[in-house]
Amino acid sequence: MGQLFAFLFKYRAFFIFLILELFCFWLIVGNNNYQRAAYFKASVGVVGSVNEKSDNMSDYFGLKEVNAELAKENARLRALSFNQPTTAKVLDSLSTFRLPFDSTNTVEYVLRSAEIVDNSVRQSRNFFMINKGSKDGISPGMGVINQRGVVGKIRSVSKNFSTGISLLNVQNPISVKHNISGRFGSVLWNGDGRDALHIDLLYITREVNVQIGDSIVTTGYSQIYPKDYLVGTVASVAPDPDQRNLKISVLLSVEFGKLAYVYVIENINRQEVDSLALSTELGNNE
Amino acid sequence: MIPWPSQQNWEIMSRNLLVIVATFFILAIIQILLLKYFVLFGVGFCFLYLLALLLLPIEISFISAMVLGLLLGLTVDLFYNTIGIHAAASVFVMFIRPYWMSANKPRSGYEMTDLPMIANYGLAWFITYSFPLIAIHAFTVFMLESGGQLVGLSVVKMLATSVISLVFMLAIQYLFYSKSK
Repeated sequence: MGQLFAFLFKYRAFFIFLILELFCFWLIVGNNNYQRAAYFKASVGVVGSVNEKSDNMSDYFGLKEVNAELAKENARLRALSFNQPTTAKVLDSLSTFRLPFDSTNTVEYVLRSAEIVDNSVRQSRNFFMINKGSKDGISPGMGVINQRGVVGKIRSVSKNFSTGISLLNVQNPISVKHNISGRFGSVLWNGDGRDALHIDLLYITREVNVQIGDSIVTTGYSQIYPKDYLVGTVASVAPDPDQRNLKISVLLSVEFGKLAYVYVIENINRQEVDSLALSTELGNNE
Repeated sequence: MIPWPSQQNWEIMSRNLLVIVATFFILAIIQILLLKYFVLFGVGFCFLYLLALLLLPIEISFISAMVLGLLLGLTVDLFYNTIGIHAAASVFVMFIRPYWMSANKPRSGYEMTDLPMIANYGLAWFITYSFPLIAIHAFTVFMLESGGQLVGLSVVKMLATSVISLVFMLAIQYLFYSKSK
């Protein structure tokens, strides 16, 4: 022990130097946006390569389930493509047809599939990491979904990996609507790491008729997620006696504990919409 | 162990202390009020405040030198909106300064009562003493500012900034610091 103190005292100048520099870096990373982004970018790359190696092993154990999921989605997509009107039908002027939706309403989305290499559900701020990065065209702010529903959005990107902020994060509210009444609200996780299946739906006033089992979908206002994409179904409704709002718990359609493959959504028009919103000083409704 | 100074040395050292304190305040004020807006061609900045750190007496301890570097750096950072960057660079410079000073001794050795400036040790010694430290400080600042990228641009900025800062430091010393003996 005495030797340890003697060692520390002999090199005290160096240790004080280290402490002061660490303090400075803490200040830099905490207070300067650009440096913070660079720091996360660098750390994502290192952490990602380690996580990918460990994930490669655990992949084999989940293969059966993932196969089943993919087969189910294939079936769903095939059903969708059968229901599409064929070109010949559309061009035939003798038969009547109707457009599935207003053509001015379309938003161009690009989907990129990615594999989850790291994921957490037990903290109050959960993040996940995917094996696609800037070289695959991923950029911060893109939405992440899987075949069942909304997963989260991309926070920082390195060359080969990206980290995303999960819906199970107390700092990640998204705007949603109650599909039947069309009322808008926000879902935000309450941060209870013991229950990774439910999320709270906020700002729905008491006169709205919400039933258990009603689906909650995205609004598409934020331009991150496509419109009317499933987030979850209502699990419990209780009138909150003190407030104007209902206390609604939503059963998430995505099982975050089993997350394996996701799609990253790029909205081609997002920049245009955002700059228009900025120029008219409309807040970007998250 | 530092010998107790004689009466005459005591006077010189209290004069030195006055010079150092005044230098700290005046250079910090000049830096945050005037030199903040002084940029040549987008690459040449002037970090004159570093002179206050370079002029610290030779016998000052490692730790107090680094703490002074941190405080002055943080003051400058507050006004540059770069919290921590100048502070980190200043602490780093104050850490390597003693090693560089002992490696770069003037022919007659250091006098304890003399501040390391042109008036005491000559122009050639001051340039070899200060230029590498200024360059290291500038390089650290620009590398931290760009988050470890843009190495080429940082080197260009470092060269321009070091030369400009050095010229300012020489001019200030010739104008305002008389020989202390």
